[in-house]
Amino acid sequence: MASFLGLIRLVVGAWAFLLLVSATPASAQQVNPTASSVKEQQLLQELNRIQGRVSIPDQRSGVLEQPQGREWREFRNVTLRWIGGVAILGMIAVILIFYLTRGMVRIEGGRSGRTIVRFSGFERFVHWMTATCFVILAISGLNITFGRPLLLPLIGFEAFSEWSQWAKYAHNYLSFPFTLGVVLIFLMWIGGNIPGKVDIDWIKRGGGLFHDHPPAPRFNAGQKGIYWIVVVGGGLVAATGYQLMFPFYVSGIEGMQLAQILHSIVAVLFVAAMLAHIYIGTIGMEGAFEAMGSGEVDVNWAREHHSLWLDEQNARSRAGDANPNPAVTAAE
Amino acid sequence: MARMKFLCDADRCIECNACVTACKNEHEVPWGINRRRVVTINDGKPGERSISMACMHCTDAPCAAVCPVNCFYTTADGVVLHSKDLCIGCGYCFYACPFGAPQYPKVGNFGSRGKMDKCTFCAGGPEADGSKEEYEKYGANRLAEGKLPLCAEMCSTKSLLAGDGEIIAQIYKERVMKRGYGSGAWGWKTAYRESIES
Amino acid sequence: MLIKRTQRQRSDAQSRGSIAESLSAQGGGLDRRTFLRRSGLAGGGLAALSALPTGGVRKAEAAMAGPLSAGATVKKSICTHCAVGCTVTAEVLNGVWIGQEPSWSSPINRGSHCAKGASVRELVHSDRRLRYPMKLVNGQWTRVSWDMAVNEIGDKLSQVREKSGSDSVYWLGSAKMTNEGAYLFRKLGAFWGTNNTDHQARICHSTTVTGVANTWGYGAMTNSINDIRNSKTLLFIGSNAAEAHPVGMQHMLESKEINRANFIVFDPRMTRTAAHATEYVRIRPGTDIPVLYGMMWHILKNGWEDKEFIAQRVYGFDDLRKEVEKWTPEETERVTGVPGAQLERVAKMFATVKPATIIWCMGQTQHTVGTANVRASCIALLMTGNIGKSGAGANILRGHDNVQGATDVGLDIVTLPFYYGLAEGAWKHWSRVWEVDYDYLVSRFDEKKQMETPGIPLTRWFDAALLPKADVAQKDNVKAVFVQGHASNSITRIPESLKGLAALELLVIADPHPTTWASLAVEAGRKDGVYILPVATQFECTGSRVASNRSMQWGEQIVKPVFESKDDLEIIYLLAKKLGFADKMFKNIKVENNLPVAEDVLREINRGSWSTGYCGQSPERIKAHMKNQHKFDLVTMRAPKDDPEVGGDYYGLPWPCWGSPEVRHPGSPLLYNTNLGVMDGGGAFRPRFGIEREEKLADGTTRKVSLLADKSFPKGSEIEDGYPEFTLASLKKLGWDTDLTETEMATIKKINPANPDAVSWSLDLSGGIQRVALKHGCVPFGNGKARMNAFGLPDPIPVHREPIYTPRVDLVAKYPTLPDAKQFRLPNIGFSVQKAAVEKGIAKQFPLILSSGRLVEYEGGGEETRTNPWLAELQQDMFIEISPADAADRGIKDGGWVWVSGAENNSRARMKALVTERVGKGVAWMPFHFGGWLGGADLRKNYPAGTDPIVLGESANTITSYGYDPATGMQEPKVTLCQIVAA
Repeated sequence: MASFLGLIRLVVGAWAFLLLVSATPASAQQVNPTASSVKEQQLLQELNRIQGRVSIPDQRSGVLEQPQGREWREFRNVTLRWIGGVAILGMIAVILIFYLTRGMVRIEGGRSGRTIVRFSGFERFVHWMTATCFVILAISGLNITFGRPLLLPLIGFEAFSEWSQWAKYAHNYLSFPFTLGVVLIFLMWIGGNIPGKVDIDWIKRGGGLFHDHPPAPRFNAGQKGIYWIVVVGGGLVAATGYQLMFPFYVSGIEGMQLAQILHSIVAVLFVAAMLAHIYIGTIGMEGAFEAMGSGEVDVNWAREHHSLWLDEQNARSRAGDANPNPAVTAAE
Repeated sequence: MARMKFLCDADRCIECNACVTACKNEHEVPWGINRRRVVTINDGKPGERSISMACMHCTDAPCAAVCPVNCFYTTADGVVLHSKDLCIGCGYCFYACPFGAPQYPKVGNFGSRGKMDKCTFCAGGPEADGSKEEYEKYGANRLAEGKLPLCAEMCSTKSLLAGDGEIIAQIYKERVMKRGYGSGAWGWKTAYRESIES
Repeated sequence: MLIKRTQRQRSDAQSRGSIAESLSAQGGGLDRRTFLRRSGLAGGGLAALSALPTGGVRKAEAAMAGPLSAGATVKKSICTHCAVGCTVTAEVLNGVWIGQEPSWSSPINRGSHCAKGASVRELVHSDRRLRYPMKLVNGQWTRVSWDMAVNEIGDKLSQVREKSGSDSVYWLGSAKMTNEGAYLFRKLGAFWGTNNTDHQARICHSTTVTGVANTWGYGAMTNSINDIRNSKTLLFIGSNAAEAHPVGMQHMLESKEINRANFIVFDPRMTRTAAHATEYVRIRPGTDIPVLYGMMWHILKNGWEDKEFIAQRVYGFDDLRKEVEKWTPEETERVTGVPGAQLERVAKMFATVKPATIIWCMGQTQHTVGTANVRASCIALLMTGNIGKSGAGANILRGHDNVQGATDVGLDIVTLPFYYGLAEGAWKHWSRVWEVDYDYLVSRFDEKKQMETPGIPLTRWFDAALLPKADVAQKDNVKAVFVQGHASNSITRIPESLKGLAALELLVIADPHPTTWASLAVEAGRKDGVYILPVATQFECTGSRVASNRSMQWGEQIVKPVFESKDDLEIIYLLAKKLGFADKMFKNIKVENNLPVAEDVLREINRGSWSTGYCGQSPERIKAHMKNQHKFDLVTMRAPKDDPEVGGDYYGLPWPCWGSPEVRHPGSPLLYNTNLGVMDGGGAFRPRFGIEREEKLADGTTRKVSLLADKSFPKGSEIEDGYPEFTLASLKKLGWDTDLTETEMATIKKINPANPDAVSWSLDLSGGIQRVALKHGCVPFGNGKARMNAFGLPDPIPVHREPIYTPRVDLVAKYPTLPDAKQFRLPNIGFSVQKAAVEKGIAKQFPLILSSGRLVEYEGGGEETRTNPWLAELQQDMFIEISPADAADRGIKDGGWVWVSGAENNSRARMKALVTERVGKGVAWMPFHFGGWLGGADLRKNYPAGTDPIVLGESANTITSYGYDPATGMQEPKVTLCQIVAA
């Protein structure tokens, strides 16, 4: 009923508006500017936004009124906190449950004592640069959304403001190396991250978390997922983030509100995903951290998690020459 | 207790910009910061109306709600003020504000907004009333001196009204009744969730 | 530099008033105290702010800072940016202007200001002001001392005078000067020996002064802006009050609201004023007369004219009727574009919903037909009896704070102070007032004939410098220009003025800012012979100003002149001293440290200004008005009769304020108002053009028609009919000469020992004749008829004449401009120019009408306002308004750069386009305040370092063209032709 009335109001308003607009050009005969003046409520109903001309160069200030800020506020203060809370806490819960039930995924064959180079120094540098930035960006970002209810009451206004100020600087400035990292990751690893048939099998078999390990190339479907989350998610947060950092370069205020919405949703999901990534790369799986730590992984770990890759590496080394594969050395 | 509000009677506003320069004059607002501005709708057409706009000191102010560091406060007069010591220049209040009121000095080469600046209803900030620190950060504190905002006091046609909401609403209502037309109390529904019926 | 204003005084609730108070006049019924109490602010608001709700931010609990607050003093002056006359209330601490407060007690502005008024503080403390005298040495601006500057300038002036005569120096003064400054500047011209003394009135309301004075006696606004509150119909023709007189709009809008008055705007642009109209009439620029006649056609057809008023108080109605009959609705629409039905509706409102007023400004005056335009407006008022009454009248809005005053005190080329003219009698009157030998004054001129010949209008100073010597009716061309407070970019035909600048031997610019005189002089290639003298703003000077409504207000010095600037009066004194006539010129004026005392100057003005009634406005009375501002009524502008200081006075003693100050005439808020006694400010039309006129009749015979009023007279007049001006002879005839005191009689006899009977009310320095006339309820100047037929003017009955450059070439044959003639010492070849333009097909090459006008943020040439960052920020680019249709035809985008080219001198200018329906198709419009660019080039480097205005831009007058009103020399910046192309 209410919406029906609303519709009627809208139609009547639109009709009145059209009448007004159509009345003005043909008005040489009867021009009464006072009677034909614009009305606020009418404009708001029609356009939900009132815009005009200003003489100052900042043409954006010509937007007189845009009540959409209310919706954005609702998103920021309620919706986002729910999404973020559910995603992040949910992920932590899942990880916790998984860890408690499954525990650390061991190298089933035990350590072979022989390692194989999985990531070069450059690759690891890029990874850690991006990762460090990400962590700081995540914390400083989460602070914007959750700091006020969670941290502020603990440390007080001045300290919180001081911290947030630095966090903002960090967030702004570290966005540049982070973006660079995302770009490099994209270029560096795109070769190994094109989804393939083998990934379907890998997914079907649950990545070997519960049963035996499915065969996988250098990057298994899970890692490919992370890759694409980083590339797409990173790209999105970067793009939207820069839009916010350079206000009005790209869009007006509603564009910036949308950008913030996208930025924050992607960011909290990103954070949740990265929690899983961190878990599996550290305490979740034996031998996994070394890949980004020293860059060399145990051959048995490689055989279990990336059998196709190991085969490939071995084949390549045999084809190379008689020399022992320089990538595979005895771990004394 | 009074509830301070602004009301721009667009049927009186002639876009003379006195409110803008009065504000600059009273608070020594720097170039590029426009605590108050005048927007002309339908410029050059017979339905043209101009509206002087600044912070409306909203009821349940969105800026205060979204501020990550909670630097806003509402005085007992209903004036929405903020602390520049706490503000981190994040720009969130600007996204939330329906009126484009928050202003940021550019302090870096990119994006780094300085401390937010906005209309204070000539009521200063958290510092002691009339203190030098208050003046330097927020401008004059006329309310504490028993005066109303200078923009409204100097308005060329008494279009911009500032003061207790009930009183200025009453003045506006009487005007509309007397003259028989009114284009609305611009921003009132959005800011105060009320409209003035006459 | 800036002292923070923590140290200001608490407000005094009693004297300051408030928004609530000023609003309560409209029926809100709230006084300030109630308002504050209900606003929770009664106790200074401290309590209201101390308690804060939930948020964490806490208000510091310290009490209001205030140890230094006792130091600030409050000074009142008058805003310098238009003629509304807003009081500026300044707070000063340690010689620094620290703040502006609303001037609640002024009945004129009631606390309000416009953008300019609300930012005047910055004018004074701007660091871009001129700091010290400078001269151009080998093309470089070089600092010099005041002594050196005055010496060199004086020597050079004398040298020019020696070689080319006294008329070869052009003295260009200013409407920004106080009455005292403008008066002394005119007096300086007289003592120097020339009538080439002019100021801004030439280019703003010279046509009004001439047209209106020739209609009914005085060339001024007849009512007041406050009185518009009584109007039921407001007709704006050529006024954009919303931008030009914003505080005036307060009264007009309240009239519209409270009286539900008709608010009718005639304008080529849908202006910000028109946005508030109840009826907007778009006319083609330059067709004011046809549209007014078109209205009158309906009035006469329907018999809406005020027959009794016309019979009693108007001369020449039948002559007018013949002209009006030509303007049928069809012909009117053909010429103006306004449909007959709309005009009939407007005519009916104007003639029947009374009182009705016509409000005009430069839209009417700045035309080759400017004088005729304003005459047509006056005629419309006379026809409907809308003059001399409250709520009616010619509300002519003037543009500078003291342009009315500066005109009255004679800073003009056609008259000595107070419209005495230039005849021998006038010079003798002033030589008596100045107590200087008449023969001495004669000796100062090149010849006596020149002394009695009007000078050259400022609009044509460069023609006077450039035309062949034989074409300039004085000893030699203009060789030196001394300009004190006047822009150059507000004068049309800039490309030609550039040549004039190059031709001068000496240019002196005395101003707070270097102005475009300086930047264009350098651009003209000058390497030397230019001096810049820093002048104080009016806020640093003391003295009186006359607002548009003829109210005089006294401005206090707010702060001492900053840097090395000097008061106008001091500069005039130093020059007079250097030129060797200071002793004579300042004989009755006290001079302290080279600064003439303003009060003394005003007293001298009082002693000589009987013709215009500045005689009663003593400095003491005017100062008392400023002190007691709050006692004057908002609508009547009158103080209660029982007040000890200002009892019964009208605010600012609007002239004529008859008799000596002791007579205590209250001033005349409405001119020609017969509903009041003369001692209550009433009056009648002034019989200034004889008492009867011989008219030729159709049958070849003649008859004599009286020019005196017929049974109309001010309330309480002892003569209940028309009468001529008072002289001793007429007093004797009436038997009233016995009322004169012995001293009065002695003075009269001294004035004209040979024939004391001939001494009139305006020459009688004793004031006795005026006093006696007033005593008998009579107007000293007589009681005559207003003239619809103003015989003596080029067009005694206004006639439509197409602009020199018109797109309607089809109308030129029927409505040509007046033939070429010699006027004001120079040839006016408007007819030849118009003819050539038609023959050359200029209208095809330049199809758009170009008009110009004002922006609220800037004033005049705009240098001082464009230097004020608070204003400059609001208008940063020169622009041209163009209609969407014309823009689309030319591929021009809103905000894009365009080249505008003009019909003369291959002129062109680069600016931004503002595409808007505000202008109609075929019309473009520019603001005239910009300067500092020329033909696309930025001239910022031409300003002395650090004194360039923040915002520069092309001047509209680079594009404007030839065209001069034959009666006044007014320029034509409102209609010319142009072409616009995307840049």
